[in-house]
Amino acid sequence: MLTVESLVNQKLFTIEPTASVRRAASVMECYGIGSLPVVEKGKLVGIVTSRDIRGSHPNRLVADVMTRDVITVPPTVFLTEAQKIMKKYNIERLVVTNENDVIGIVTYAHIMSELSKYTDSLTGLNKAEILYIKALELLKEGREIAVIFLDIDNFGSINKKYGHTYGDDVLRQTALILSGLIDGNKDTLCRYGGDEFAAVASRPLAEAEKLARQMILAIANKNWPDKIKVTISAGVAGGRCTEISATDKDSSYVVKNLINKASLASTKAKKLKKTLVVIDILACKETAVM
Amino acid sequence: MLPRETSRSQEPQRKADIIIKLSEFEVPPMQDIMLVGKRAPIGSEAVRRMVDAVSPEQYEIIRIDHEIFEAVVVKKSLLKLLPKEKLLPVVIDEGNRIADDNMVVKAQINIVIQISRTVDL
Repeated sequence: MLTVESLVNQKLFTIEPTASVRRAASVMECYGIGSLPVVEKGKLVGIVTSRDIRGSHPNRLVADVMTRDVITVPPTVFLTEAQKIMKKYNIERLVVTNENDVIGIVTYAHIMSELSKYTDSLTGLNKAEILYIKALELLKEGREIAVIFLDIDNFGSINKKYGHTYGDDVLRQTALILSGLIDGNKDTLCRYGGDEFAAVASRPLAEAEKLARQMILAIANKNWPDKIKVTISAGVAGGRCTEISATDKDSSYVVKNLINKASLASTKAKKLKKTLVVIDILACKETAVM
Repeated sequence: MLPRETSRSQEPQRKADIIIKLSEFEVPPMQDIMLVGKRAPIGSEAVRRMVDAVSPEQYEIIRIDHEIFEAVVVKKSLLKLLPKEKLLPVVIDEGNRIADDNMVVKAQINIVIQISRTVDL
């Protein structure tokens, strides 16, 4: 799901380092591709792009124009991680390798195009899939995570009373307020669906709880048009999850469980008429705090 | 009406003159030092393969970070007379004055070492 494997070209073209630039250009033109992994005796030794061959003498060897330090990723790497690597190294292509075998190339444009499918058009926030992937990435890096699940109270009534256009505006404004409160280096926010938002925070549970409180207060204190009252209920789930996610399978389960627990906590907060319920996964402790 | 070609018309004559110039092929084809331009028809890897084939172990290829040259190929025996830190900057500087990045420049180097020693009588 959302890994570079889904974008890898079906047909892979490679070239030898002893081939001429003329030959490389001809292969690229013939198959409409912008780069070729350079392979010698089955081993990846470089990459040559259309930019490398532009302006190079056609008699030159590919070995003399190629980039030798090739950044590679395994097919299982998430698109978000691949995008981060490309930004870090300021490159437009990544070679996908399975152990020592080259299996394809992914481009920045492809990744961005795919990721745009996971952006909510109304609010501009990520969709839920990105939240899930981000949480998995953080767990794999051994970082502490917590999930904050937020639900606008009585959103259906707002839609019915003021109309859906107004409701959409409330969603957009809510997204804007929440985005302003998160730390891009620590937190990833998404529109989970309908009137629900969620954030995965690379923070200890107590800090995530503090952030959730700030979110609740910021929405409640905003001067909404027509002086309507908009409030949100939140559920937070977290607490040293790294200790219970030793394998990838565990990580996936932990993330799903966290999102689910946070979602149920926000529902519980509504029922209890408390605005925030916090669940410590490891201690199996649940607290209604506001 | 077109004039008819008579039997007296001359047949066109075609000849080929063959001029042969023979000289010995210089092995290796480069001299003491070669400066490889960044956009030259051959790059440093091609030069390395050529040198390995025609004069194995006699030349050293040094990749450089320079405005117009990407590599210097230097005869190893020269480096016994003068360290490359002393020799190469001079050759590159002179090459830079006459070459551009499309060229491969070969240089013949004569090194004369002057020694004056004094001994007690």
